Amino acid sequence: MALQLNLLHEEITQERQRKRDPLKLGIIALSCFGALLFLYYGWNAYRTIQIKGQLNAAEREWRTTEPKVTAAQKRATELHQIIDSSKVLNGLIEDRFYWAPFLAQVSHCVAPNLQVTSLDGSIAEGRHSVTIALEGLAAAREPRAAAEEFRQLLSEQLEKNYDEVKVTFRNLEDLDTAVNLSGVSTPSARFILSVTFNPKRGDAAKTEETGSAIAKSK
Amino acid sequence: MNPKKLTKDQIQKIFLSGLGFIALIYCYFNFFLGPLNKSRASMMVTIADLQSKTASSKAEMKKTANLEIQAKEATGRYETLKATTAEGAPIAWFPPKMRAFFSDQGINKVTARLDSSADFKQKELADWIKNTWAIDLPQSEYGDLGNAIAELENSEPLLTIQHVVIHAVPDDPQYQQVSLIAQTALLKK
Repeated sequence: MALQLNLLHEEITQERQRKRDPLKLGIIALSCFGALLFLYYGWNAYRTIQIKGQLNAAEREWRTTEPKVTAAQKRATELHQIIDSSKVLNGLIEDRFYWAPFLAQVSHCVAPNLQVTSLDGSIAEGRHSVTIALEGLAAAREPRAAAEEFRQLLSEQLEKNYDEVKVTFRNLEDLDTAVNLSGVSTPSARFILSVTFNPKRGDAAKTEETGSAIAKSK
Repeated sequence: MNPKKLTKDQIQKIFLSGLGFIALIYCYFNFFLGPLNKSRASMMVTIADLQSKTASSKAEMKKTANLEIQAKEATGRYETLKATTAEGAPIAWFPPKMRAFFSDQGINKVTARLDSSADFKQKELADWIKNTWAIDLPQSEYGDLGNAIAELENSEPLLTIQHVVIHAVPDDPQYQQVSLIAQTALLKK
C-alpha cells in the first residue's frame, strides 16, 4: 500500500475554508433565490400586462357604449313620458261626450207640430253625466198630449244610446194664444223638459254619421 | 468524524447572510410583488365592473330599441296630437281657426274668446294646458250647426264641448243663436 503524505496541509485547509465561506455561500444562495423570485415576478408582471390589455379593451368598449346608453336612457325616459301622456290624452278623447249624435236624436224626435225654442245642455265635470234643459212649444188639439208624446219618444230614443236616461217635465202649461198650424188655429202648450243621462264610452264613431242624419231630419 | 465548529467570523457571516435574505424577502413582497398583485387585483375588479356595466348597458339599449318599436303607435299618435297645437299663443290662432272652420260649414260671424286657462291635474300632462273657450254662433241653421259640431268633434280630438246653449232667434225661427263652451288641450309652447 502506497503511503500518501500531505505536504500542503495548510494550503489545502485554507482552500477548504475559502470554499466553505458562509458569506460567499450565502451570496450564492441569495442570488439563486433572487433569480427565482425575479422569474416569478416576471411571470406575474406578464400576467398583469395581459390584464392591463384586457382593461384597456374593456375601457375602450365602455367609452363607445357609454354615450349610446346615455342616449338610450334619455330616449327611454322620453318614450315612457310619451306613452304615459298618450294614455292620458287617449282617456280624455275617449271620455268626451259627442253632442252631434245627441242633437241628431233630438231633431229626429221633433214632430211638425212641435218647436224646440231653447236647448241648454252641459256636462258635469268628473261625473260624466249630461244635463239638458229643453224648452219648446207643442201645438195640437191636445197640446199637453203632444208634449208628452215628445217626452216619451225622446226618452225611448235616448235610452238606445245612453245610460240612466231621465226625461221629465220641469214645466208644462197651456198657452192662451192659439198657434196657426197649417192654416188651422191650434191650441198650444209651453213645456220645459229636463233631460239627464250618462253617456256610454266610445260613441265617437256615431259622430261621423250624425251630419247626414241631421241634414235629413232638417 | 465530528463536524468542525464554526468560528466567530463564520457565525457573523451567516447572520449577515440571514439578514440579507430577510431584507430580500421583505423588499420583494412589499415593493415588487405586493403592489403588482394589488394593481392586478384592482384591474380585475375594474374589468369586472366595466364588463357588467357594458353588459347591462347593452341590455338597456336593446330594451330601449324594443320600447321604440312598441311605442311607435303611441309616438305617432302623440305627434299627431301635438300637431293640433299651432305655433304662437293660442289666443292668437284659435279664434281665427274657429271662425274659418265654422265659415267653411256655412256659419258666419263666429266669435271665440278665451274664458280660462289652467294646468291639468294629471302629472303626465305637465306639458299641456287646458283652455276653456266661449264660442258664439249668432246665426245658424240647426242642420248646419249639427254638421259643424259633428265635424268639429271629429277633426279636433282634443276639443271637448262642455256646454251648449241653443236659442231660436225670435224674429227668424229658422235660425238659432248658439253658444258653446269648449275645452281644449294644447301643448305648452
